[in-house]
Formats: sequence, C-alpha cells, structure tokens
Amino acid sequence: MKRRTFVQLLAATPLASTIQAKGDAPKYKVVTPYKPAAMPGMPGPYPGKVVSVKSAKCLSEDGLKIDGEAVSEMMERGMRALAGDAKAIDSWRRFFTPDDVVGIKVNAGGRPWVVSSHEIVAETVRNLTAVGVKPQQIYIYERFQGQLDQVNYAPSLPEGVNIFAAERANARNDNQNYDPRVYVEADFFGEDDTRSNMMRLVSQKLTKIINIPNMKDHGATGATGCLKNIAYGSFSNVARTHNRGVSHTLSFVGALAAVEPLRSKTVLQIMDGLRGVWHGGPFAPTLKYVFFPRTIMFGTDPVAIDRLLLDVIDDERKRRGAISIWNRDEKTLDFNNGGDRDKDPNVNIIIREPGHVEYAGNLGLGIHDKREIEVKEIEL
Amino acid sequence: MRPGAVACVFALMALFTGFSADQVRKQAAAPADAPSAAPLIYWSAGVETAEALKRAGIERIAAPPDKAEAWRGAGFKVVAAGQAEFDRREKLLTPRIAGRADVASATRRPWIDANGWRFARNPAGEFYYDLPQGKAAMAIAEAFAYNADAVLKIDPADLTEAGAMFAFIKNLTGENYPLVADIGVIDDKSPETGEVMNLLARRNLLFDVVAVPAPQFRVNIKLGSKEYPRVEAANPSEFAQKIRRRLGDENRSLRVYGTETVICRLTGDGARARLSLLNYSGRELGGVRLRLRGNYGRVEARAFGLARVEPEDFVNDETATEFSVPRLGIYAVIELKK
Repeated sequence: MKRRTFVQLLAATPLASTIQAKGDAPKYKVVTPYKPAAMPGMPGPYPGKVVSVKSAKCLSEDGLKIDGEAVSEMMERGMRALAGDAKAIDSWRRFFTPDDVVGIKVNAGGRPWVVSSHEIVAETVRNLTAVGVKPQQIYIYERFQGQLDQVNYAPSLPEGVNIFAAERANARNDNQNYDPRVYVEADFFGEDDTRSNMMRLVSQKLTKIINIPNMKDHGATGATGCLKNIAYGSFSNVARTHNRGVSHTLSFVGALAAVEPLRSKTVLQIMDGLRGVWHGGPFAPTLKYVFFPRTIMFGTDPVAIDRLLLDVIDDERKRRGAISIWNRDEKTLDFNNGGDRDKDPNVNIIIREPGHVEYAGNLGLGIHDKREIEVKEIEL
Repeated sequence: MRPGAVACVFALMALFTGFSADQVRKQAAAPADAPSAAPLIYWSAGVETAEALKRAGIERIAAPPDKAEAWRGAGFKVVAAGQAEFDRREKLLTPRIAGRADVASATRRPWIDANGWRFARNPAGEFYYDLPQGKAAMAIAEAFAYNADAVLKIDPADLTEAGAMFAFIKNLTGENYPLVADIGVIDDKSPETGEVMNLLARRNLLFDVVAVPAPQFRVNIKLGSKEYPRVEAANPSEFAQKIRRRLGDENRSLRVYGTETVICRLTGDGARARLSLLNYSGRELGGVRLRLRGNYGRVEARAFGLARVEPEDFVNDETATEFSVPRLGIYAVIELKK
C-alpha cells in the first residue's frame, strides 16, 4: 500500500524575537511519510530530567587517558538514576528489546581529542547486547567514513557490530545513502541544492537510536551537543546553513531534529563530557582548547541537556577570558577565517546561535527553561 | 530542428565530400530530419598511428590538410582542418571544476568551466577545444549533448577514453525534440549577457535565446531594460539568483538535488523528453536526484562508463516526476516517456 506523504510547513517567524536569526528566517518544507510514535523519543519519558555523573577517575590527571572501569561505573549509575531502577540492566530494558535495530549516533568530528569515546560507545554496546540485541543489529553511525576511519571504533567493539557512514568524505559526492522521500527543503543563501535528506539508515532500518554527542563549542551554534549531533549528523547537505558570518542554525537544528522518524526513534541521550572543547569547535585537532569536565550526562530530553551544555561551554570560556557564546558584536567577526578563529578565542567566524536550543524547545523537543529542568548530580 | 544540429550535419556531410564543414554549409541545405552528428577529434599525427585510432574505435577524424588524403586512404572519414579552420572557430574552455568560488565558506559552491551556454547562444557556431589530458571524453559529451559543431584537440593518451565516449553516444537513439526552457534571453551579444547565460546554465535555470520576449516563457530577460538594468548584471551570480526568484523554484521544468556539479540540458516534445546530465566534478556521483515537471511513466537511463543504471525511488505527484540516478560518471542520458 502506498504510504501517504505528510507535508508540514514550518515557518520560523512566529517565535519570540529574542531568538530571531539575523535577517529573515527561512521557511521550511518538511516532507516525510512517517508518523510520530505514541511517545516520540524526544523528549521521551523524562522531559526536563538530566542525570549528570562526574568522576575524577574517568581520566588520567593530564586528561589524555580514559579509565574504562570508571566509565562503566558512571554509565551504570547514570542509567539507574535516570530510570530509577536498582539494576542498570532494568533501565536499559526500559528503552530496548532484543528485536530492536539500534543506531548509535557518535560524533567523530572532534578527532582526535573530543569524539564519542571508545569506552562509552563500547559500554553502550555491552549493555545493548546484555538486553539481547545482537551485535549485527547495532549500527555505529556518522556521516563521513573518513572521520570514522580515523577514530576507528572497531577494536573496542564485539565482532558483528556495524560501523556505517553515509558518505565517503565531506565532499557531497555520495547521496545514495540518504532517503529521497524524507527531507527538509529550504533556501538559505541561494544555494542550488535546497534539500537536506535523512539517512536511509535512520528512516528505513533502525528502530531506536542512542545519541552520544560531546561537550563542544561550535562556531555557528555556540555549542554543539545532543540536538546538533543528531540533526546535522543524520541529514545531508547541512553545512549550507552558515555562510559569510550568518548562520541559520538557530532554526534548522531543531527543524531537522523534529523530523519523523528521527524524533521518535531517538530514545536515549548520553552526552560524553569526559573531555570538551571550549573554542574552535566542533574540531579539536590539538589540546589547545580542550578542557576536562570528566562528566557524562544522561537523559531523554536533548533540549534540557543542551541547555546545561550552553552554560558549561560559556562558563569555561568566561573562565579563560574569552567572549561569550552569546556575543553578537560584529566587531568580533572575521568570517570565513578559520585560521584567525583558531588563534584567538575572541574571534568569531559566524555570529553564533545558541538560541537554537530554545528554538528546539519551542518545537516540543524538550524543556529549555532551567527552572523546569531537574538535574540529578552524582559525583563518584 | 535546432541550428546546432544543422551545423553538425554540415560536419557529417563534409566527411563524405572532402570539403570543409564551412564549405559544406555554404553549399548545402540540411535535411529536416537528419540525426545529430558527433564532435570530431583533430588528429595531427600521421597515418602510421591508424592502428591506435582503430583500436579506440574511432573512424572519423579531422586532420591537417596535407595528411587528410592519406587518412582517407587508410579507410577513415576525414575533414581537412588547417590552422585557418581553427582561427575561424571559437575556442572553448576545458570543461571542469575550476575552483571553489567561496573556498572558505560553508556553502562552497564550486566554480565550473562549462560551454553549454556558448552553444546555446550560438547554435550555428563552430567551436574547438584544446584539451589537456583526461578531458577528452567530457568534452565530447558536452559538445554532443548540445548538438554542437566542435573539433577537439585531445591528448593522445585520451584516445581510448574518447573512443569509448564515441561508442557510447553512437548507441544513443537520435532525437530532435525541441529545447525545453523556462526563461527567454534576448541576446544583445554583449559579454554581460553572455555571463548571465553562463550563470543561468550553471544553475540549471533552463533558457533559450530569443529575438523578442516570448510568451511561452515565464521570464524574459533583456539586459538594459527597466526590469533588468545592465548595472545589475555586474554581479551575474546575484543576477541569476534574481531570475531564479522571479521564476520561482516551483515553476522550474527541472531541479537537480544532491550535487552542484551537474549541468543538464533538457529537450522534449510534451510526450517524450531527453535529459542530458554532464558531471563536471571529475568524480563519480551517487544518488543524483532529479525533478522534472510533467508526469512521466517510463524513464530509462544510460550512463557512460557504468553498467546498467536503473533510475530509482520514483515519486510522481500532480505536477512532476522525481527519481534518482544511483550512479553518475561524467555523462548520462535519461529518456522519458509519458
């Protein structure tokens, strides 16, 4: 039977003026044949709830080595606290069944220092297999094969786990792994290709997704965490949203994350904050801007976690004497000059849009107001 | 029949008569239903290299006048082409990505050197390429796709690839469908108008050159008019964008998704259509998505250098047909029928 195509039109303009992007907000045409689940994974069963587990032992003193045992303990405590179970396995069973085909959306962009760590990914896979999900039903995924090759998760994983990238490299040569029936169409800067398509893996194969982002500064969004990792990491042709100092990430990050079936399938957020990057993100080729929160956050609400992340990144920047991620002074702008940005934390290449988190909250993806966010802090 | 096709016929007739293409043009009127002809390789080497050409499957060449007879004696169809021939012809760019226009920006739109707009501007024109190694097949495809009368100076190392492209286009069925366009351009022969055509072609904004504004087009452009002041064309990219907005993406006969390095030519008669895809990226592309106005039930693709390519992921709505070409080398031809 032919599925009905649902076409939604999202206009960005009705939102509060405090989160308006520079210039006219674009109109989005969202095309997907998929309906939302009875309870979409985002914000899921725990809206506004974040468990933050900190452990001094998770990294060596210099921050360069990760302690797998400490990470396992953090994962166990975090999952139990999130779901309120005595045993971690019961918490995992709340989210996954042996029949699920589970995607783990990693972040390999901040290689080598700030990527979804092998230890957290491996522990996630271990818990899935404990639930009964076969390794062959687990997919570690990213957009670019070149990044995954450099991070090389395979040695940390059981045989049979799939490692999948939609494109060989960030060169826009490969679109066959994106679903032509699921896309968001928008014209940001007069680009010829106005569509961003969802990965076929996400729309057609996976039944559940675990999102494992990092704590990262981002030149266009202010910070990149759950929302941007799952949105920009599951769709094609997204870099087009920022150009010459202007970014439409304010509205596009949330618009993509809200597209079905991505929204319904993304059921668990595990933010890897063992290390973070406070400037120059999302990249971390050197240790220059790397810091060490030694934290993992757990939740089902990406907005709540990212709201906390904005403060983590901004506080670290303030501590280092760098301009705020909320700074919109055009004097700080040296657009398209990544070199200057990398040298000086008071240089922006784009006016950042940390308001993308609030925007996503307004789309129903989670709780943005800190007064409504319940944070359970655990220190090991 | 398009004037460009007529020009190619002259070249074809020249093969059999021994006259230059220009002489043939002056002496003959082309038959109305003649098929388009392929571009010609200019081969300056002597007849001792005949085996190499035969191995490549090339039977027709342009050759220096003093060698033409020897080549005919070796069984080749030959057009004599001396320096005067090249002096008369318009030199074309090497078809390729020339760089990135906004190299440090996120959008990174590539700059493409393409010649389709020159062919469209001057369908009866005579052209030649002087190509570096690796570009012969692309240039043959480009000239063929636009029915252009073009002679190609190629690197001898490209002979096999060129022969393969000739074999590919030889197997394409002939078509004489009218050009499909959404925009009329009134050509004042100025460089500015030429650059506007270049940018329109680059963005797959389908245009035809007209003498006066034509009612069948939603947009007619005449530089220097009140609507399109000449000063606006100083930034042809912005100007093309203005035309695009005026036309409206929803009204375009063709949209291309998943790449910004493919330039298309569309012909059709309402019931059938042919879409030529020229990939300037130098790399194989996967999953190029196409949207054509009109409801086509049968779509066949032929892609150079690839085994059978089946269009996939069809979507037909009230106004358009969408499908994906799973793999695209440098050239593909899509035949559509309602």
